[in-house]
Amino acid sequence: MSAAHSQLQSLLPRESLLWIFAAQLVVLLPQFTHLPLWLVGAWCLAVYWRLEVFYGRREMPGRLVKLLAVTLAVAGLALTYRRWFALEPMVALLAVSFTLKNIELASRRDALLSLMLAYFLAATLFIFEQTIPYALYGIFSVVIITAALAAQQGRRSARPGRAFGLSAKLLAQAVPVMLLLFVVIPRLGPLWAVPQNAGGASTGISDSMSPGDFTRLSKSGKPALRITFDGPVPPPEQRYWRGLVYTHFDGRRWSEPGAGDGVVHWGRGRSGFHGGGGEDAQPLPAVGPRYRYQVIQEPSHSPWLFAMARPESDTRGVRKSGDDTLFYRSPLASRFAYEVRSWPRDSLPVDVGLGSRALQRHLQLPERGNARARRWGAELRARGLGAEQISAEVLKRFNSSFVYTLRPPPLGQDSVDEFLFSTQQGFCEHFASSYVFTMRAAGVPARVVAGYQGGEWVAREKYLLVRQYDAHAWAEIWLPERGWVRVDPTAAVAPQRIRDGLQSAAADEFMQDALLPLHKIAFLSRLQLQWDMINYRWYQTVVSFDQERQQGMLQRLLGEISPTRLALFIGAPVIAGLLLLWGWLKLSSRGPKLPVPGRLYLRFCRRMARVGLVRQPGETPGEFARRVEREFPRLGPMAERITSAYEKAAYGDDPRAERQLRRLLRGFWPLRIAR
Amino acid sequence: MQKVISAIVADIGKVLLGKEHQVKLALACLLARGHLLIEDLPGMGKTTLAHALAQVLGLSYNRVQFTSDMLPADILGVSVFERDSGQFRFHQGPVFSQLLLADEINRSSPKTQSALLEAMEERQVSIDGETRQLPEPFFVIATQNPLQQSGTFVLPESQLDRFLMRISLGYPTREAERALFQGVDPRAQLAQLNPRINSGGLKKLQALVGQVKASDSLLDYLERLVQHTRQSPECAVGLSPRGALALLHAARAWALIHGRGHLLPEDLQAVLPAVAGHRLQSDGTDGGQLVERMMHQVDIIAA
Repeated sequence: MSAAHSQLQSLLPRESLLWIFAAQLVVLLPQFTHLPLWLVGAWCLAVYWRLEVFYGRREMPGRLVKLLAVTLAVAGLALTYRRWFALEPMVALLAVSFTLKNIELASRRDALLSLMLAYFLAATLFIFEQTIPYALYGIFSVVIITAALAAQQGRRSARPGRAFGLSAKLLAQAVPVMLLLFVVIPRLGPLWAVPQNAGGASTGISDSMSPGDFTRLSKSGKPALRITFDGPVPPPEQRYWRGLVYTHFDGRRWSEPGAGDGVVHWGRGRSGFHGGGGEDAQPLPAVGPRYRYQVIQEPSHSPWLFAMARPESDTRGVRKSGDDTLFYRSPLASRFAYEVRSWPRDSLPVDVGLGSRALQRHLQLPERGNARARRWGAELRARGLGAEQISAEVLKRFNSSFVYTLRPPPLGQDSVDEFLFSTQQGFCEHFASSYVFTMRAAGVPARVVAGYQGGEWVAREKYLLVRQYDAHAWAEIWLPERGWVRVDPTAAVAPQRIRDGLQSAAADEFMQDALLPLHKIAFLSRLQLQWDMINYRWYQTVVSFDQERQQGMLQRLLGEISPTRLALFIGAPVIAGLLLLWGWLKLSSRGPKLPVPGRLYLRFCRRMARVGLVRQPGETPGEFARRVEREFPRLGPMAERITSAYEKAAYGDDPRAERQLRRLLRGFWPLRIAR
Repeated sequence: MQKVISAIVADIGKVLLGKEHQVKLALACLLARGHLLIEDLPGMGKTTLAHALAQVLGLSYNRVQFTSDMLPADILGVSVFERDSGQFRFHQGPVFSQLLLADEINRSSPKTQSALLEAMEERQVSIDGETRQLPEPFFVIATQNPLQQSGTFVLPESQLDRFLMRISLGYPTREAERALFQGVDPRAQLAQLNPRINSGGLKKLQALVGQVKASDSLLDYLERLVQHTRQSPECAVGLSPRGALALLHAARAWALIHGRGHLLPEDLQAVLPAVAGHRLQSDGTDGGQLVERMMHQVDIIAA
């Protein structure tokens, strides 16, 4: 009986509970997309139970029930994730503990704990998403949680207006501190493994290319890359952002052996070039890079990075493959920025040839199929033409009668043959695939390159915006005297595709399947571009503010980063702020300025205090003068005169008395007179 | 003018021996057109003071002894039907005088108290739907026994506020008491007093009170005092603006009595216990002690 009574007493009031639930909902809402569904149900159940307890229809769950709940939750987590030390299960664990806390939410302490956890959980959101909408949502949830905290104080402060007001005020006051900490707090690398979200690999270029892949991409207007240049910007026809090289063809799919499982072995085990070292070992040319640029890549959930030919990157974790492309050590789960320098191909000496294994790889053709194409290739070869001439022949054929379209007729078993000799309609992947096939049939080492081509130059923010529909496939052939040379068969058919982009090359078909033809409304496109610029800014200034940038910024601010300077940098504003606050408090508490006679009289009092006679606050000047007379008879007459002058000046508003008081004080040095 | 005032003080001093400060306070109260409440034990000279004041100032004087069965009409007056003229005629009550001594005011019922207090505030009375002006000047000197005594009705705060000052006379000094013992008869002295001033002169004096200058420095001090009563945890209630004005006005009268054309902090301090004491008192706290502490705490020169 007594236990129930004490529990009743410690029960939280209704407002408090509702605030906590609101904060929890706000924090968990965006997490629900990552979290397993049963967790959502568990949360609802816990909240329901707690409300029932509040209405007195149910008891707080006993120890057995709690134990059961914990066991179930842990088992659920284990079954859902099957691994422990990754980020997602950890976040889920946090959410679970947050949820379970509800059923023992009894005292104010529990409430505070729950809300503190809410802050933490709100912060975990940024592990998954760092875009502006999520940042705004993060601010929103912090406001709600703080308001909930403020509401815990009791009845009046639980009113929404009051709680929000206080919360907003507190957070606004915290903004300067936040900015300061943003700049100076040391940036540590993530301590956790980046979530390997397999479900997100829906957009972007994949590890293989089969007919139809690029059609899918051409329907997406999402940004893929944002590229800023330090120095000259390449002309449109040079903007080939190479991502992947496909060498293996099975008759239908182009793929890269060893690149499929997301774990990359390139550049190490595979010797693309003779001499064992490959291109990596080659010293960088003395001639400077033609282009220096920074690429910000949207999360692609694959490790491939995009750059122009012959790239070099110093960004940590970026490696170079034997096929002259860049890749990251793990799949990109979030936006990633990397610096690239690209050398023009012809500035590098071509003293290396293709090794025999590489040659074999780049001449590989499936066992059978596409007989006509093979015959055509052999025929071209038999005519004794050089590699470049063969290429010219093939391109001439493309140029004569082929049509560039985003909606090609479906192809059958012998896709290359059908495309080359019957349908003759297709887009980049068809052209690249059949071109490479024919070249290989003619004995010229060739490969398919997938990536992006073109991009929209955003003049206002000076960056190149590459979208998913800029995805492109082209070919490279090996010329013994020049090395790998880019050949874009699509350019032979639809040069405007290369020059002006997909939108103008296939105006009628472009994004035809979109639900609403939004891209046709100029205003909306502009708005979209505007939004992209804002996003770019956001990423540039906030998200990509890593250790290097922090160092750079501090260096710019301080000249040199030393502990003293850093302490000065942090301490000086803090001390200045505190001093200002102190001064302000001092000034505001002092009240109106004392008039002149008062100040003069206080001077008299200070001098008297030095002799040992302190005026009491409530002692009138007259009384004080009499006391002076009593204690120091020699000072008496002077004190009397000063006092009467002061009284006249201060209370009779007599300006002459003020002058007199000044004069009298000039000659009044009690220390000298008294002794 | 100054001579007149000192003469008045001296005259009353002859009757009420050794109570110069209280006499001056009472005079200041009247000069500031306020009403006076004297709180003391029976036999301390309350009535004598009132009587002497009336005598010296040449005012018409009425005295009412308040009792518990008293009705408002007993103070204000009543209309009586006269058979000769066949009309109602108003018989003025004791309130129609220039100086009314309301003796032991807290012995009467609240109804009667409030009738008098209303007259004090409005300086007029309404009877049978007719408003009658009270004579000019009009003072009330009320006396009351200490609250603990039996058979008393407590004056509520709002009505205490109507009195500009509350003073108590206290026991006489040894010399004064010895003089009493030696046969100086206050009543005989009282009879010998002559008016020193007429009502015209009194009006002039009252007008002079308003001309006493209060400098900014002094108003600052007043403000600090008032703020102290409102902010200090000791005071249950702060001084109202009316209370603050009363303080200023009483201090002016005090300054005039001392022959000054401007106010000094001493003036404020002199009248402060009498003016603020009954306004600040609340259950369990004694206004007098509170005011004493306040005078010591609030700085005169600067905040």
